[in-house]
Amino acid sequence: MTTTFDPDTLGALQLQKKTHPWRKRTTKFDVSVAIAVAIPLAVVIALLLFSGVPGAMVFVIYLPLQMFASGCAALATRGKRGILDSVIIVNAVGASVFTFVVIISVLWSLVTKGLQALSIPFLTQNSTYISPSTPLEYGGMAHAALGTLLIVTISALIAVPIGIATAIYITEVRGKAVPYVRFFVQSMSGVPSVVAGLFILTTLILTGAINTSAFAGGLAYAVLMLPTVARTAEEVLRLVPDDLRTGALALGSTRARTVLQVVLPAAKTGIVTAIILGVARVIGETAPLLMTAGKNDATVTDPFSDPISTLPIAIFENVAQPYPDAVTRAWGAALILMVMVAILFTVARLLGRNKVK
Amino acid sequence: MSTAEFEQDVVALEQEFEPAKVQGRAELEARDISVWFNSRKVLEGVNLAFPKNTVTALIGPSGCGKSTFIRTLNRLHELLPGAALAGEVLYEGEDIYGPTKDPVHIRLSIGMVFQKPNPFPSMTIRGNVLSGLKLSGMKRSNHDEIVEQTLTSAGLWNEVKDRLGHAAGELSGGQQQRLVIARALAVQPHVLLMDEPCSALDPASTLKIEETIRELSKDITIVIVTHNMQQAVRVADYTAFFLAAENEPGHVVEQGRTTEIFGNPQDQRTLDYVNGRFG
Repeated sequence: MTTTFDPDTLGALQLQKKTHPWRKRTTKFDVSVAIAVAIPLAVVIALLLFSGVPGAMVFVIYLPLQMFASGCAALATRGKRGILDSVIIVNAVGASVFTFVVIISVLWSLVTKGLQALSIPFLTQNSTYISPSTPLEYGGMAHAALGTLLIVTISALIAVPIGIATAIYITEVRGKAVPYVRFFVQSMSGVPSVVAGLFILTTLILTGAINTSAFAGGLAYAVLMLPTVARTAEEVLRLVPDDLRTGALALGSTRARTVLQVVLPAAKTGIVTAIILGVARVIGETAPLLMTAGKNDATVTDPFSDPISTLPIAIFENVAQPYPDAVTRAWGAALILMVMVAILFTVARLLGRNKVK
Repeated sequence: MSTAEFEQDVVALEQEFEPAKVQGRAELEARDISVWFNSRKVLEGVNLAFPKNTVTALIGPSGCGKSTFIRTLNRLHELLPGAALAGEVLYEGEDIYGPTKDPVHIRLSIGMVFQKPNPFPSMTIRGNVLSGLKLSGMKRSNHDEIVEQTLTSAGLWNEVKDRLGHAAGELSGGQQQRLVIARALAVQPHVLLMDEPCSALDPASTLKIEETIRELSKDITIVIVTHNMQQAVRVADYTAFFLAAENEPGHVVEQGRTTEIFGNPQDQRTLDYVNGRFG
């Protein structure tokens, strides 16, 4: 049977408007919400304007006040069951706003203060012949940015393969030593960064095996990066459904091919996350580099021969100086570090996007 | 003796000697297979022969060990934690659990299709079909031909021929299942194990796969686990009925020609099950 529309119905159909019946509110609801918003707000404004209570304190008062007001509004409109709901929502919103404000204020101070230092020479020159009192027009952080890149690259080259191999051992090989390996990887993630530096210093540098250099710094960073990469990679490999492994094995695949061609590609995005988290874990670490990479005002490209400066060390050196220009330099270095991290992560995300072959 | 009587006798004789005849030309044969998971015995003394180029259906209620059994036939069982096994599985006359046997080789000849479609998400449709060749290290040059041929066999070619380069995850569940069947066929197995391949499919896809199974059985031996009685009747030459009493390992109650199992079962439990009275 075919349905025919008479012109009247058709017109009515076309006239029908999009509506959202679930958004309809009663007046009682609107009024309750308005009161629940207005009263705490009025109290806060009154406190800020007419009392000597400090601003930060007022916001500490505001959250419980808002919870109470929202709870009352919920009780009036939805009954007892609404109270908990509204209290949790107010808390969740409050907590996220707090986090957001903290992060934005950190970024804001970093960007505003860092931008004062930023100039072409600051990005391209090193700090040879620059003292803390030298004006900002001279010298730059290129040598430190290069040092950070070099050391992070070295540590990633060491820690990422070992970390992923460890994760593969735990989730794919499932050998007898898995509980022990996991235990040690977990304890390793609790090693303070300064200990990682001390470890490289005492075992390799003081014994004369290697110089204070980018390589030594990379080794110390690798010690810190390894557990993060291994544990995150383990988590993401665990998420790969066993169906895929069995499916590959049922096709006559060896275990190695299953891991390389099915499991790892399926976990690609997660593996990239593991690498990003590993880099993020170390990139701002200062303590291990003090002992392993040292500092150097000149640009160093040989990772094995000489001490080398890095952005965290440059910040550390400059921020405690009694000269405003030196402090501004530190902010500038911090800004470069942050932008570098942002660029690295964006590139990694782009490379790690899921593409099917 | 009239002609009709004579024919009846021949049929009777055939049935009487069927097991021997079957064993003589069986491509795959399970002998006294018992299976454990840790200390729990889930299968006991299963003897089943799968004659070359036939379809055998394994039927029985859930939890009676059919899927576990089918996984012993290509050594996937041993991958599960706590797995243990007694008995032997003969493939072309040799025990696949023999000390010199490589499970990778066994699984290449005895392929498997699972209940849940499991296409590889990192590969395209085409990549999935060819993945078996890549994973098993088989060198074949006529890739385009293999893709078209196996996808046609699996009844999927017309639906995907214009988007072979798309991600396999874009396909519907039924299409994914036919894709993994094509994938399993691409390595040219001699035996194909199918663990409830149609349980997630609509009737139209199911019919396509059943046609595929009939077509494939000209060249390969198929063992199919199914909960669908009509499917067993439609596709299988032989049927084995598995059953497990409460807290007891599963075993084969009755086996034989599908027509016999469904038309003239010897065991009351088989009769009840195939007529839908339990399970």
